Amino acid sequence: MLDWLDAFLISGFFGVLQIIGLGLLVHLQMGLSRVANFGVAGFWGLGLYVFGVLYIKVDWPFGDPFQFLICAFLATVASGLAGLLVAWLIADLDVDGALVGTLGFATVVLILATTQTELTGGATGLGGMRFPYDLGPAKTNEFVWVLITTVLVGAILLYVRWVHRSPYGRLLIAVGTNEPLARSLGKSTTRAKLTLFATTSALMGLLGAMQGVMFRFLNPATITINITLAALAGLILGGITRVWGAVVGVLFTVGLFDIVIQFYAPLPQEWFTQAIPVAREAVFGAALVLVLLFRPKGLLGEMKRPQLMRRIHDFN
Amino acid sequence: MVQGLSNEPSGRVGGVDVETSDLAVSLRSLPNWAIALGAVVALVVFAQFSEFVAESLVIGATENAPLVLAALGFALLYRLTGLLNVAFAETITLGGYFAIWLTSSFSWGFATAVLPAGIMAGALSVVTYLLIFRVARNRNVDGLELIVISFGLALFLRHALQFVFGYNTRFFETPPPNTINVFGVGVPSFRLLAVASVAVLSILIYQFIRRTSYGLQIRALASNDGLAQASGVRPLTVTLLIWFVAGLAGGLAGAFYGVGSAVTPLLGSRQLLLILLVVLVGGIWDLLGVVYVGIATGIALTAMTLLFGSDLYAQLILILFFLAMLKVRGNKLTDGSKV
Repeated sequence: MLDWLDAFLISGFFGVLQIIGLGLLVHLQMGLSRVANFGVAGFWGLGLYVFGVLYIKVDWPFGDPFQFLICAFLATVASGLAGLLVAWLIADLDVDGALVGTLGFATVVLILATTQTELTGGATGLGGMRFPYDLGPAKTNEFVWVLITTVLVGAILLYVRWVHRSPYGRLLIAVGTNEPLARSLGKSTTRAKLTLFATTSALMGLLGAMQGVMFRFLNPATITINITLAALAGLILGGITRVWGAVVGVLFTVGLFDIVIQFYAPLPQEWFTQAIPVAREAVFGAALVLVLLFRPKGLLGEMKRPQLMRRIHDFN
Repeated sequence: MVQGLSNEPSGRVGGVDVETSDLAVSLRSLPNWAIALGAVVALVVFAQFSEFVAESLVIGATENAPLVLAALGFALLYRLTGLLNVAFAETITLGGYFAIWLTSSFSWGFATAVLPAGIMAGALSVVTYLLIFRVARNRNVDGLELIVISFGLALFLRHALQFVFGYNTRFFETPPPNTINVFGVGVPSFRLLAVASVAVLSILIYQFIRRTSYGLQIRALASNDGLAQASGVRPLTVTLLIWFVAGLAGGLAGAFYGVGSAVTPLLGSRQLLLILLVVLVGGIWDLLGVVYVGIATGIALTAMTLLFGSDLYAQLILILFFLAMLKVRGNKLTDGSKV
């Protein structure tokens, strides 16, 4: 039934979905409330490792799908708590302090993943995770997992849309635009930041757990800053303040390289081992610089809310 | 003078009379460099009696001399332009690659290649300012966006350089260095060269910023851009000078890091967080504070590596310690690191 679908193409789609999910969450943090988070890989990686270690190392009295559900839940909670801790650390800091705090957290996660060899397998990695169902061939299981992840990312998109239209979203925009003013109006901006970080980091952890199931292997090389920068590049290209910014931007960046070029570009096979992956990162970097210099609002332009407010003012 | 310290021999704190001893008063009136020198002398004396202290001191100060150099360059840029330039890590990496290119292409020894490599890195630093950061400033890009631009530039340089210098890890093809015995610990000659470079560059930069007319212009520009320009300071020349000296320090650090181990595309970015933390904590005082904290960090890293048997654990503890400081000091840490 799925003969038309290449196994690598499935993983390409999955990668795009993951980065879209992370980009949407970074949009809430940096696009709406303008709280810098350069430690996305840390929250995502924590979810991935907590899920993997619990799934493999703990002798659960029940099997899948409950084993998956419990482990994924605990991974989500762990990342959420870490988000709360990091938010507490950086809540009162300027962008430089937030950079150091979030980057420091991601480095701590990476060091723990590398050094705790008995739990994580260290640099060699740790395998043994399974899909929480068995529908037959591996390709079918992977395809269904991509569908489940699509639903999850769709739910995150709906959540982001809801935040944009809710009073909570207006508070986040106020935090990003003029925090002292929001505070002087009696709004608890610190609580808003803590809630935002805890929620978004928890969802990043859940995405990490989904990654663990798909690739069935833990490896510190997957939780480097490159994942943070891929999400940022996509988001900024699409439009950091727009709900659909991450979706559009990631399709043009990660989608272009991991699906279009990977499967449809008639390039020599040997380029795909090193030249294309290296060029991918270089292009992401160049995109970040060029977009922010020459089109800082991204492809989709300014946030819709100010446009709407302007129209209302013009009408009056 | 360290902030918050008073020369008064006694006073009232929280409604209680506090008598301060003459010794404490004398210590407080000493300049920072004298206190640091005293601490070093005390450690050297202690090193005579303890192998652990000797190893920590010698290995820490010599192996981590590039950290001090890199932190000095980064701090110069951060304090005087206010820009937290993440792409500085790639200046370090490219310093390593330039040095390896000079030694392999022209059969130069490492000692001959190191300064030209630093100058090339300084020139590259100036080019990145002119092509990216100056354009960004002119377009009023600031704050978060400017940091993201520097991340983008870092990502671009880190990967684009692999098309020029190759994907694989590269090693210097230089003859094995002479080893010199310091307090019973063998130190390769290039590490002593790194220590000498740190010392010379620190003094030169400090004297340059403090004593020369260009240094005065740099400080004026950093304190009040508009007023400095109105007073005849040429901002472009001065800014280019800052970027060049910062790049030079980063490039030298990269060359020394590279000859001590290997040159890889991640050479600089692996050191970035530690450099950032040293600059933020050391920058509370001044550029010399960065040097002191850099040396102390290097010694602490080595001591903990010797204790725990893993440099990653040592880094972990230091990162957690610095993050705790970040929480306690708050924005004073980042504000204090700028002019």
